[in-house]
Amino acid sequence: MPELRKDPIIGRWVIISTERAKRPDQFTTRAQGGPPEKDCPFCAGKESHAPAEIYALRPEHSRANAPDWEVRVVPSIAPFLRIEGELERKGEGLYDLMNGIGAHEIVIECNKHVDNMGDLSQEQIAKVMNVYIARMRDLEKDERFKYVLVFKNQGWSAGGGRVKHSRSQLIATPVNPKRVKEELVGARQYYEYHERCIFCDLIQQELEVKERLVLETENFIAVAPFAARFPFEVWILPKKHSCDFTSIDAEMRLGLGGIMKKVLAKLEKGLNNPPYNYILHTAPFRRGKAGYWKSIDYDYHWHIEIMPRLTRVAGFEWGTGFYICPLAPEAAAKFLREVEV
Amino acid sequence: MPELRRDPIVGRWVIVDTDHPNHPKDYEYEPHRSHGGVCPFCYGNEAMTPPEIDAVREPNTHPNTPGWQVRVVANKFPALQIEGELEKRGLGLYDMSNGVGAHEVLIETPYHNKDIPDLLNSEIESFLSLYCRRALDLAKDKRFKYIMVFKNFGAAAGASLEHPHTQMVALPMVPKNANEEIKGAHNYFEYRDRCIFCDMIRQETQDSGRVVLENQHFICFCPFVSRFPFEIWIVPKKHNGLFCHMPAEEIPSLAAILKGAITKMKALFPNLSYNFLIHSSPVNGDGHTDGYHWHIEFMPKITRVAGFEWGTGFYIVSTPPELAAEYLKKAKI
Repeated sequence: MPELRKDPIIGRWVIISTERAKRPDQFTTRAQGGPPEKDCPFCAGKESHAPAEIYALRPEHSRANAPDWEVRVVPSIAPFLRIEGELERKGEGLYDLMNGIGAHEIVIECNKHVDNMGDLSQEQIAKVMNVYIARMRDLEKDERFKYVLVFKNQGWSAGGGRVKHSRSQLIATPVNPKRVKEELVGARQYYEYHERCIFCDLIQQELEVKERLVLETENFIAVAPFAARFPFEVWILPKKHSCDFTSIDAEMRLGLGGIMKKVLAKLEKGLNNPPYNYILHTAPFRRGKAGYWKSIDYDYHWHIEIMPRLTRVAGFEWGTGFYICPLAPEAAAKFLREVEV
Repeated sequence: MPELRRDPIVGRWVIVDTDHPNHPKDYEYEPHRSHGGVCPFCYGNEAMTPPEIDAVREPNTHPNTPGWQVRVVANKFPALQIEGELEKRGLGLYDMSNGVGAHEVLIETPYHNKDIPDLLNSEIESFLSLYCRRALDLAKDKRFKYIMVFKNFGAAAGASLEHPHTQMVALPMVPKNANEEIKGAHNYFEYRDRCIFCDMIRQETQDSGRVVLENQHFICFCPFVSRFPFEIWIVPKKHNGLFCHMPAEEIPSLAAILKGAITKMKALFPNLSYNFLIHSSPVNGDGHTDGYHWHIEFMPKITRVAGFEWGTGFYIVSTPPELAAEYLKKAKI
């Protein structure tokens, strides 16, 4: 009998399909080629092939756009949203619209031609986290923006580009996105009722039950969520409660680098470089203004969701918002625990 | 400057690229290819599927033998199972339920390689009538609250079999996306005493340049807030909440407009994979149904959904619906 499971935060149901279930090792992926390394615009020495940098981690006295950087941020050459202009809202009959103000930046995670983040060092991934934080703090100063989404599209079928050089993206939006709101509202409702953070409760339950636990480190846990939408979906959560990713200290950043590396390396090795997306879930910009509830510091908990893209989202998922997951998260977690990295 | 547009029903924002819109030739998509092999949905292989639930057949032919034009069977790998009572339970923080529901497959035609544009109107009418007949029958089961009809065509759109078919799932609860839409429409109705879809039809027919096709009973347009480039909706002109209550005289109009729309779509995008789904009111009295209006949403599979869409629920539409409609209007039937 298939099982329906409900995500406790946003109320989304998923079907854990036991009938069409596959074994963990049946999810294979095909390697896809990309342009040769010499044509990569993201490697050190090719700075002029990408737009001028917005930000970079560089040694002292190094100049902008010189090749001795460690992590580099450039504007997207095909931005979804534009940085210039004032936000204008208007109506058109039934419909509402506004101009597409926003920022769209590319974070180049290393200066060598490495495809997978899991192959970078723990320290290097921690530097990437530093850069995310620096960029988010800078974008927060721009009052037009309400939220910054940090995400990665790895591999073509996850929406990534052809060039095999590890990078992530950052998009600042002038409105709080619907998905983000749903999660915030769900967490707040739980807090109003229980006076506890739902994510803290979730961490506690997962540490007790253990069957969905992929990895535990000093400061973080990696779990296959109870209501996983995708096979091998993994969430990384800090054990210590905090709603705001940008507030974590250097030790936590290093710890995050470590667990990200291990989880991504397990996915890469166990599933043969699967395409995946990861998304940083964190509190919106608050700027001490009205419009945000006071309890957000207590009710929300930042985390990272990693979604391997091994199944195709079809009509049923689009129509219902119900996902059919052909692998129980318990089986996925067991498989990933056993992949040695 | 790109434009942000907000869906008046569910409040979702999308980003429409009006500066550097993509044209049909700019889309790099996985073409649908036929791989052949033994097909459980072809004539003579009826024994390979679970037994027939309903069919349109030649007189004097027997169930589970050739001679059918449309055939409905249970899904061999159901996402949900028909037997049992719904049992909901908790597990610490978490809620769960057993997977009670129905999952049926409607084989639209005996021809393995005929998609909707290749069928006669009368053939399309007969499978559309069967959609309604099956939905009415499933709705008699009081455990079911929502009946979802959808089609995945082509592997890129999630079809696991290439023989054209539609799936029908009866669910024990109203799913989240449907619920949001129904609630949004209900709120609008409460406020204005009008159906938002009826208002939308009025607005679309007046100005918009987004209408692709129109006939006696239906209108087909690219919605102002498309989530996907070249997304189209087919909406009945007469207000009606449940698709399975569609009057018989509307079916030929629906067959014609569906065929016309998909033919145009495939003229722009050869070997296209696509999804369509029927959005309809819940059954057995769950949820707000005032002011809801059934319709079909059609999504060509020409883009990939990436991290930004997953994370935000914001969609990026690289061809404005006005431009998509222009291409579709010009495309040949």
